Amino acid sequence: MSPAPRSASARLALAVTASFLLAFVLLGVGVHYAVSALLDGDAREVVRADAAGLVELYREGGRAALADELRERGAQDDTDAVYALFDAQGRTLAGHYEDALPRGGRSPHWIAFAQHQGDERLRVVAQLLHLPGGETLLTGVRLRSQDRFLALMLRTALAALLVAATLGAAIGWLTSRWVSRRLRHLDDTAARVGEGELALRVPLDGSDDAFDRLARRFNGMLDRIEDLLGGVRHATDHIAHDLRTPLTRLRNRLEELRERPSGQSRDAELDAAIAETDQLLQSFGALLRLARIEAQAPAIQAPRLDLAALARDAADLYTPSAAERGIVLLTELAPGWVQGDADQLFQLLVNLLDNALKYAPADSAVQLRVHGESTGVLLQVDDRGPGIPEAERERMFDRFQRMEAHRGSPGTGLGLSLVRAIVQRHGGRISLGDNGPGLRVRVVLPAA
Amino acid sequence: MRVLLIEDDLHTAGFIAKGLREDGHAVDQADNGKDGLFLATTEPYDALVLDRMLPGLDGLTLLQTLRGAGNRTPVLLLTALGEVDHRVEGLRAGADDYLVKPFAYAELSARLDSIARRGSAGGSEPTRLRVADLELDLLSREARRSGKRIELQPREFRLLEYLMRQAERVVTRTMLLEAVWDYHFDPQTNVIDVHISRLRQKIDQGYPKPLLHTVRGAGYRLGA
Repeated sequence: MSPAPRSASARLALAVTASFLLAFVLLGVGVHYAVSALLDGDAREVVRADAAGLVELYREGGRAALADELRERGAQDDTDAVYALFDAQGRTLAGHYEDALPRGGRSPHWIAFAQHQGDERLRVVAQLLHLPGGETLLTGVRLRSQDRFLALMLRTALAALLVAATLGAAIGWLTSRWVSRRLRHLDDTAARVGEGELALRVPLDGSDDAFDRLARRFNGMLDRIEDLLGGVRHATDHIAHDLRTPLTRLRNRLEELRERPSGQSRDAELDAAIAETDQLLQSFGALLRLARIEAQAPAIQAPRLDLAALARDAADLYTPSAAERGIVLLTELAPGWVQGDADQLFQLLVNLLDNALKYAPADSAVQLRVHGESTGVLLQVDDRGPGIPEAERERMFDRFQRMEAHRGSPGTGLGLSLVRAIVQRHGGRISLGDNGPGLRVRVVLPAA
Repeated sequence: MRVLLIEDDLHTAGFIAKGLREDGHAVDQADNGKDGLFLATTEPYDALVLDRMLPGLDGLTLLQTLRGAGNRTPVLLLTALGEVDHRVEGLRAGADDYLVKPFAYAELSARLDSIARRGSAGGSEPTRLRVADLELDLLSREARRSGKRIELQPREFRLLEYLMRQAERVVTRTMLLEAVWDYHFDPQTNVIDVHISRLRQKIDQGYPKPLLHTVRGAGYRLGA
C-alpha cells in the first residue's frame, strides 16, 4: 500500500470535517443572534405594556398611588420585574433601583444594565419614562429566563459540535481507509502483474463506481497487453517456421556443394544458394520494417501529401512490368490529400500493385484508383485474378500467410501484413472485397 | 582507394575488409570509436565506412566531430536502424550515404564507389554527359548515340542520367530506385529490371557494342 492515496484521502476527510465545522459555527452564530433578538423584542414588549399600566395608575391616583403600587410590587420576591421612581432632582422615591438615575435622554428611553443577585449576574433591560409631574419612571425586566435559554442553547450546540467533530473525523478516517482498501486491490494486482503474473485481473465488485470503472479499464489494458504478447508469440512461431524452411534448404544445398567437384554445375548451385540467402535477407528486412512500423507512433504529425501523386509514381514504376505480361494498368487519379510518410505510403502502393500484377491473368486490366473526399481518401486496386474466398480474406493479413495455391511463387508472404501495418499507422482502414471476378482492395485513409 | 573501416563486429568487419581488399582498396580498420576518430583525423582517406553504434564513441558523434573539424572525407554510415528518421538524422550529421544491415557486399561496394567519386568530382555541374558514343544533353534533355537521337520518356532520361553520372561503376537496383524514384522502399520484385531492359533496347539495340551491362548478383553498370 502506498502512502500517497492514503494521505490524499485523509487530507480530503480532514478538509470535509473542517468545512463542516465552519458551516456549523456560522449557523450557530446566526441562530444565536436571531433568537436573542427575538427574546429581546418580547421582553421590551412586556416592559412597554407594564409601563403603560403604571402611567395609567399615575394619571388616576397621582404620584403617591404610583409609589405605593411600586413599593407593593417591589415587596414580591418571585418577580423579575424592576421598578423605580425618581423625582425631578433624581432622588429615588420608590423601587429597587439604587444607582443614580442615568441623565438626559429622550422619553421614552431604553437602557440596559446588570444586577448582581448572589453569584448570578442578571441582565436588565429597562425603559425610562418622564411623567408629567417631573418624575421619572423606570420599568424594567430581568432577562433571567432568556439568558438561561440562550445558555442552554449554547451548551447544546457545543455538545452537538463535539459529536459532529468526532463523527466527522471517524467518517473521514473510515473513508480514507475504504479508499486505500479499494486501491489496494489495484495496487497489488499491478505489482504482481509487473512481476510477470500476466493472467491476473483486479476483482470487480459490480458497483460501477469510479473504482470499479478504473479496475475494469485496468483489466482491459491487461487484456490488450496479453493479446499483443500472444500476437508476438504467434508471429514468432510463424517466423521460426517460415524461415526455417528456406534456411534448411540453403544448408542442404551448401552441404551438397561440399561433396561436389568444382565446375559449371557447382557455380549454378552457388548462385542458387546466394539467391536463397538474398530471399532470406529480404524476409528479415520486411519483418524488421513491419515490426518498426507497428511500433511507430501514429502519423499525426506527418506532412501533408497527395496520394494521387504517389500513385502516379507507383503506376509509372509498374507500367513496364505490367506491359511485359500484356496487362494494362489503368489509373483514375483525383487529388487525395493525406498526412503521412511518403516512403511508407509508396511501399503500400508498391505492395498492392505487385500483388495485383502477380495474380492478374495475362492480357487483363489492373485498375488503380485514388479519390479524395472531405471524409477520407479512397485508394482502390482491382484485378481480374482468382480473388480470395471470403472466408480467407481476414487471414491474408497475418504474417507469412499466403494462399495455398501460391506457396510456390516468389514473395515473402509479408506484403499484405506490411500494407495493413502502414494503413493502421496512418489511421486508415483496409478491406478485401470481390471484384467479380478478382480481388478488390479498398484502403480508406483520413483526409488531411 | 584508401578506406577506413570503423566497425566493432569482428565478423562484419572481416567480411567488409576482405571484400574491399579484393576490390583493390587499401583498408585500415578500427573496432571502436576513439581509435576510429584518431585514424580518421590523422591519416588521409578517400572514404570512411562507419558503423553507427560503436563502443567508446558513438558513430554519429564521431561523424559530427569529424565534420565539425572540417574533414570532408566521404562517409558511408552502416546501421541496423532503418527508419526514415534515423536515416535523416544520419545524413544530417554529415553522412554521404546510409546503408541498413543486413546488406549484400555488392550494395556496400557500389554505394562506396558512388560517394567516393562524388567526393572527388567537385567543380561545376556538367551540362553534357558522355560515355563512349552515348551523349546526354542535360539542358536540352536530349540523348544521342553516334549522333542519332534517342527518344526517351522523362523517367528513362533520369535513369540514364543517373547511370551515366555513375559511369563504369556498379549501381544496385536499390540505388536506382532511390535515385530515380526518390522513395526509400523495398521492391517486392525486380521491377526495375524491366525499366532497364526498355532503356537498353533504346540505347543498345542496333549498335555493335552494348553499353548497359548487367552485373550478376549486384546490379548494372554503364560503360564501354
